[in-house]
Amino acid sequence: MLSLSNIHSFYGRSHVLHDVTLSFDKGRITTVLGRNGVGKTTLLKTLMGMTDKTAGKIELDGTNITCEPTFRRARAGLAYVPQGREIIPDFTIRENILLGTFARTDGRRIIPPLVGELFPYLLQNMDRLGGVLSGGQQQQLAIARALASEPDVLLLDEPNEGIQPSIVEEIEQTIIRLNREIGLTIVLVEQNIEFVRRASHQFAMMEKGRVVAEGPVSQLTEELVHLRMAI
Amino acid sequence: MIDTMFIGLSLSSILLLVALGLAITYGAMGVINMAHGEMVMLGAYTAVLSRIWLDANIVMAIPIAFVVTAIVGLVIERVIVRRLYGRLLDTLLATWGVAILIQQAIRLEFGLSFFGIHVEGLGPGLQNVPVPAVLQGTFHLAGVEINTYRAFIIVVTAALAAVTWFLLQRTSIGMQVRAIIRNPKMAAACGVDVARVNALTFAFGSGLAGIAGVMMSGFKTVFPDMGTPMVVDGFLVVVVGGVGSLLGSVLSAGLLGEINSVVAALKNDTIARAVIFGVVILIIVVKPKGLFSFRGR
Repeated sequence: MLSLSNIHSFYGRSHVLHDVTLSFDKGRITTVLGRNGVGKTTLLKTLMGMTDKTAGKIELDGTNITCEPTFRRARAGLAYVPQGREIIPDFTIRENILLGTFARTDGRRIIPPLVGELFPYLLQNMDRLGGVLSGGQQQQLAIARALASEPDVLLLDEPNEGIQPSIVEEIEQTIIRLNREIGLTIVLVEQNIEFVRRASHQFAMMEKGRVVAEGPVSQLTEELVHLRMAI
Repeated sequence: MIDTMFIGLSLSSILLLVALGLAITYGAMGVINMAHGEMVMLGAYTAVLSRIWLDANIVMAIPIAFVVTAIVGLVIERVIVRRLYGRLLDTLLATWGVAILIQQAIRLEFGLSFFGIHVEGLGPGLQNVPVPAVLQGTFHLAGVEINTYRAFIIVVTAALAAVTWFLLQRTSIGMQVRAIIRNPKMAAACGVDVARVNALTFAFGSGLAGIAGVMMSGFKTVFPDMGTPMVVDGFLVVVVGGVGSLLGSVLSAGLLGEINSVVAALKNDTIARAVIFGVVILIIVVKPKGLFSFRGR
């Protein structure tokens, strides 16, 4: 289980997360919801240790990782698929995926068979550059890179943003499959309520850097969505 | 003319060895290392001291200098540079201070001169390193008379550039360095120990500069201030070639070395220097990110 207790997180002097306490159950998909700019991405970055300063406590399977640097958290089993994907454009697909293997603890530099199974296109085009891929393919590549570390927890930041509709469905299927079949714990930032209801078990609603509602996804009512997410 | 070009090539080689370290440290870490020229100087003094105390010639001094300057580089990174990541101007000032410290350490013989102890090979005076007999003189290749020592410099540099390329492109540590140059935060999120890789990179770059110093000691006098102009020249190469680009550094070192040598042969060294600066300014105006950069800093 991954949990945050009384987390405050900062970029420089701006205080983004205020007293956030949340837990992400093992083997579940937990979706973080909210309008733009409420701190969803910061929450994921805080989990990865990528903000400037954090106060509070972050625990992964009972180990306190609050003070661990980013690469140690990656090696402890957290894998991050950032918003905008951030694949390396002049690395080949192979190199981009292998980059993820630096978080493996056994030191092996191999592409897990699961990656080829989920994304046959990537496996067939290993020597193409990451930068020439379409948005959807880049998203697949970013997920493949995260999976290359054989993580326990996958942090996905708006995986369907800016991707053509035909691929969105494919990526949604992949996310559900990774959880249901492989048993990955997933923390998802997502705006599509219909997909959230279909895929996730738990949700956390954020507003102005705080968690204002949380619980099983059955409690994610229309009223709540309207109140906290309508513009 | 071919003779002049050849001298230019050997100058380029020295420039390249100095610039490679700067290009990688500046590209990967955003650190302007003003003490890099002192690594050249330390390399040259390693050659001086190896000859006096170990009876080692210039060829044997190369691996010794690499190890010595790499260790000094590692210590500088661990003690000072590591604390200044992301603070470009602070790294510039701090490493400048380190440069002065190292110069004075050599000049004052690590402080021993205060106690009246003199270490042969150190101190404020000029030193020189004889070139072993095999590397002296000239040989003929395709009808052109070639200076053996300059050919030696070019061959060693080519080999080291090839090793650097191999390390960067074909090894796991090189892939981590390339990833850090492009996106350090994402590299860390992928499990790359950025601090450790940076330290090793810094040490490797310092070691290359040390080797450049050994080779310089064969055709120039060795003195405590000799590194200062080298760091300037090194940065010219980096700025022209593009940050973090190996190919860019190779080509721009070649370009600047040749311009220097050709103009110096036609006119004189001072004019050559002026022309170099003119060319560099022109290139920066036209291509601010250098000839081969994929990303500016």
